[in-house]
Amino acid sequence: MDYLITLAILIGLSVALASSFNLIIGYAGLVSIAHPVFYAIGAYVSALLARELGLPVPLAMLCGALAAAAASAAVALPSLRVSGDYLLIASIGFQLGVLEAIKNISVTGGAGGLTNIPAFLVQDGGKGAYAALVIAFAALTVWLNWRIAHGPYGRALSAMRDDETAFAGLGRNAVAMKVAVFAFGSGIAGLAGALYAHYFRFVTPEQFEILQSAALLTMVVVGGVRTTWGPVLGAVLLQALPQAITFVDLPPAILGPLQGLLFTGLVLVFMVLRPQGLIAAGEAWHPAKKYSAEKYSAKTRGDA
Amino acid sequence: MRARAAASLSRRALVAGTLAASLGVAGAAHAEEPLRFGMAMPLSGGQATYGQDQVKAAEWAVAEINAKGGVAGRKLEMIVLDTRADPQAGIQAANRLISVDKVPAFVSAWSAVVKAIAPVANDTRTVQLSVGANSAEIARLGDYTYTTFPLAAVDITAVANYAAREMGKKRAAVLYINNETGTVAAQIYRDVFSKAGGQVVAYEAYDPRASDWTGPLLKVRAAQPDIVHIQGLVADTPQVIAQMRQLGLTIPVSSYSAVYNPKLIEQLGKASEGVIATSLAPGAADDPAVATYLARWKKEVGREPNGLPYTQYLYDAPYLIAAVYSGMIDKKMPLTGENFRKEMLAIRTFDLPLTGKLTINDDHTVNKTVYLMEVKNGAWVKKAVVE
Repeated sequence: MDYLITLAILIGLSVALASSFNLIIGYAGLVSIAHPVFYAIGAYVSALLARELGLPVPLAMLCGALAAAAASAAVALPSLRVSGDYLLIASIGFQLGVLEAIKNISVTGGAGGLTNIPAFLVQDGGKGAYAALVIAFAALTVWLNWRIAHGPYGRALSAMRDDETAFAGLGRNAVAMKVAVFAFGSGIAGLAGALYAHYFRFVTPEQFEILQSAALLTMVVVGGVRTTWGPVLGAVLLQALPQAITFVDLPPAILGPLQGLLFTGLVLVFMVLRPQGLIAAGEAWHPAKKYSAEKYSAKTRGDA
Repeated sequence: MRARAAASLSRRALVAGTLAASLGVAGAAHAEEPLRFGMAMPLSGGQATYGQDQVKAAEWAVAEINAKGGVAGRKLEMIVLDTRADPQAGIQAANRLISVDKVPAFVSAWSAVVKAIAPVANDTRTVQLSVGANSAEIARLGDYTYTTFPLAAVDITAVANYAAREMGKKRAAVLYINNETGTVAAQIYRDVFSKAGGQVVAYEAYDPRASDWTGPLLKVRAAQPDIVHIQGLVADTPQVIAQMRQLGLTIPVSSYSAVYNPKLIEQLGKASEGVIATSLAPGAADDPAVATYLARWKKEVGREPNGLPYTQYLYDAPYLIAAVYSGMIDKKMPLTGENFRKEMLAIRTFDLPLTGKLTINDDHTVNKTVYLMEVKNGAWVKKAVVE
C-alpha cells in the first residue's frame, strides 16, 4: 500500500510539473527547459525555511512557491524583452548556475544533498492524506491550466504565440503576459518541489539537472503538447511504465537496458509514428463550453 | 447486448480462474516460502557497468547458498531493482521492496541513493545495508541504515598517513571532484596529512561535468607539491591523471578505492605507472577464495569485474543476510526488519568468504584492512597493508 501511495505522490507531482510546463512551452510558446530548477528552488527554499527557521511547513511551502515564481520572473523579464530564444539560453544558464550555487553553499548541504527536512502531515494524517493533498494539488493545477488555456486569457495567449507583432498591434503587452505565464507555471513547479521535499525529506542537486528537464519534456511531448490531458497522460505513463516493468520478472541483465531504452525509445517511436503526441492538439484555439462561440460573440456584440 | 454479457462472463471467469490459480500457488509455496531480501542497484544509466557486475556477484552468492541447502532448509531469494543511481528512483525501488515484497532487509549503494532511502527505512523499520557507498554521513542516517563497506575515513586516512609517514612526503596537493564523494574525502585527507606533519599546499575542486582540468592542474603545479592526491570518480580520475602527465607533472599520484581497477591501466597505459590506490578487500594473491572467484569471472564473463573489491563486498552481502536469517530462525523470531536489526547486532562479527572478518560497530561504521596498491609494469601490485 505504501508503495502505491508513494507512486501516486510521484505521479501527482509529475502531473503538476508536466501540466505547468505545458502551459509555458505549449500554450505560451515560451522556449525554456529549465522547469526543474524552479522545482528545486521550491524544494530548497521550503525545506530550509522549515528546517533552519522553524517556519510552519505550509507557510514554508508557500514561500517556496513564491520564491520560484519570483526567480522565474527575474529570469524572464530581461530575456523576454530582447527576444524569445534568449529565454532558452538565460533559463539554462540560470538552471546550471543555481544548481552550482546549491552544490557549493554549506547551508544547502552542498553536493551531498539536504537531509533532515521536517516532515509534514504524515505523522498526523498518514501517508494517504499526503497523497490526497498532492493529487488535489495536481488536479487543481490541471483545472487551472485548462481554465487559463481555454478562457479569454488563453485566446489572448494563443494570439500572442502565433503572431506577437499583431498581438502587440492590438495594444496588448506581450512581455507582461509572457512573464506572468512563466511565473505562474514556475510557481506551480515550486510548490510541487516543496511538496516533494517535505514528504521524501531528502533532496540533492543532481535530481534537478538537465536529465530531469529531458524527462519532463518527454512527458509533455509524448502526451501531447498544448492539450489539457496530454501532459497528464504523459506524466502517468512515464512514471508508471518503469515501475510496471519491474513486475515482469526479468533478469537484471535485461531489466537494466530495457529501463534505459524506455525513454529514448518512446521519444523515437513517437517522433516517427505520432509526432503530435498521444493526444493531438487542435489546429486553432478553441474555447471551453462555458465560453462557447455564440455566447462569446453575443457578449461582445452586447458590449458594442 | 448478448456479446457484451458473454464478454463480461468470460472476464469474470478469467478473474476467478486467476484468483484460484494464484491462491493455489500461494498455498503450495507457504510450507517453504523463500527468505527474501532486496537489492536496489543501478542497472541502467552511467553507473550501470558497476551496478550490473555487483549484482552478478550477489547472484552467484545466492545461487551458492541455495546449492548448499539454503538457510535452515529454506531458499534465499534476491529481488533486484534498478535505481539508476538516482535518489528518486532509489526511493521507488525501496518502497517497492518494503511494501510489495515485504523484505525485512535490502542492499543498496551509491551515497545519494542511500541517503534518500534512509528516512523510508527508518519509518518502516526495514534494514538498509549500504554496500559500497563511502560517504561519512552514511553512519549518521538513523537506526535502520548500516554499512558493510568501510566509509571514506578508513582508506583516505590510511593513504594520507602512508604518504606523510612512510613515503616521507611533505607537500601534498589535493585535487577533488566537487560532489559528495569528493568534498568529504578531500577534507579527511587534508586533516590527516596535516596532522601527520605534512602541509597541504594546494586544495583544488573541479566540476563533476568537467572534461578539462588544465586550470586546477596548473594551480597544483604552481604550488610545487611532492605528491598529488586525486579524489575523483572512476570515470574522470584516469583523464585527470592523463592530462596531468601531459602537462609535465611527474610527481607521484595517490587516489582511493574507486580507482583500483584494470580500466585505469587500460586507459592510461604508461601514464598509469606509479599511481597508488587503495583496495578495501584482499586481492587474489592474498586469498585463494578471491583467486577462484576471479578465475570464475574470467571463465564465465571473459573479463575481470569492474571495481573488483566492490563486487567482493556485494558477493558477501547475501552471506551476511543468510547468517542473520539463520539466527532469527534459530531463535524463532518473527522475520521482521526490527528483528533483523536486533539479530544482526547480536551476531555483530561475521566471517565472510571474500572480504574476511567484518565487525559492525555501534556507531554504524566498520573497520577493515586497507591494501595500498600501486601500478608497476602495467599491473596492480600490493605496496603495503594498513591494519
